[in-house]
Amino acid sequence: MHEFSIASGLVEKLLDFAEKNPDKKIVEVRVAIGEFTQIEDEQLRFCYESIITEMPIAGSRLTIESVLGRVACSHCSYSGAPKYWDGALHGLPIATLECPGCGNAARVIEGEECAIRSVRFMPNEIARAIA
Amino acid sequence: MAELGAPQVMLEASPDEIYDIELEHSLLEANAKLATENRALLDQSGITAIDFMGAIGSGKTTLITKLVGMLKDKIGVAVFNGDATTSNDADAISKQNVPVVQIATINGCHLDANLVGKGLKKIDLGNLKMIFIENIGNLICPAEFPLGSKARVVVVSVTEGPWMVRKHPHMFLGSQVVVINKIDLAGAMEVSVDQLIADVHALKPDIKVIPTSCKTGAGLNEVAETLLAV
Repeated sequence: MHEFSIASGLVEKLLDFAEKNPDKKIVEVRVAIGEFTQIEDEQLRFCYESIITEMPIAGSRLTIESVLGRVACSHCSYSGAPKYWDGALHGLPIATLECPGCGNAARVIEGEECAIRSVRFMPNEIARAIA
Repeated sequence: MAELGAPQVMLEASPDEIYDIELEHSLLEANAKLATENRALLDQSGITAIDFMGAIGSGKTTLITKLVGMLKDKIGVAVFNGDATTSNDADAISKQNVPVVQIATINGCHLDANLVGKGLKKIDLGNLKMIFIENIGNLICPAEFPLGSKARVVVVSVTEGPWMVRKHPHMFLGSQVVVINKIDLAGAMEVSVDQLIADVHALKPDIKVIPTSCKTGAGLNEVAETLLAV
């Protein structure tokens, strides 16, 4: 459950933001999660929602944007989508580091992110009025 | 007249009352920064740290104990043992008379760079050349948390069945060495070591794979040589 550590870090950042902006209510946070991470959307959302109950950011929505992986190869100058391996048991293709161009080892250039992209907020009085 | 159940007054925040700010803040950054600091301290001290990851029972502790036994008369070696609760593994390795740091994560599922950094402050780095870090027995969570080691080793064993690599692909992508352990039991387990090697290479063609048996000693010299050369 490393999602819990990640959700805790996220909440800490948002509380920090809320404390510095006492006149604003956070309504949504958008997070980018890359394909090469091993972070599960549903678990991250569950951890987030569990942590924020009773907090000033309670009720805020976590939106997860999945970022597809991209690899680059120094052997053949390929750059683009990774080769997918369908050998995994649950049938979900797994992004690999085998270069789709030449079969040598490629490196990840995109898809390792786990980052807050943006925070959406509104003035408290509006938030209270539409609650 | 308003429809049944619909509110009489609708008040919506207009677009100019909703604000978006771009933050671009990495959630893994805090750990990554500490890992970089650990690495700088290790490099400055002339120490190579190796992080061992793998399932409970894959043989991480036994492998590390064997490696310590082979290396301790030649170079200064220390071991960090991550465990959720017990100190069983640290106690076992302590018999080798090398510095051992027990890191209890108290049910945490992975070691992180902060815990390893604290461990580095507890021992005398002066005479050390190598630190083996045994991560928590878990093939998922540690992948996201670099510790500052120079190489990450995944230990799988044939007793875990034929699908270990396919079931936990991410762990291998970020590692440099894979040890396939307990090969003396491959026949009894009816697990193909060659298939496990092929699975690893399907994920990452340039990863070093070393089949071992801590019982017969097969492959252990190659592991030691590989880790000394990283």
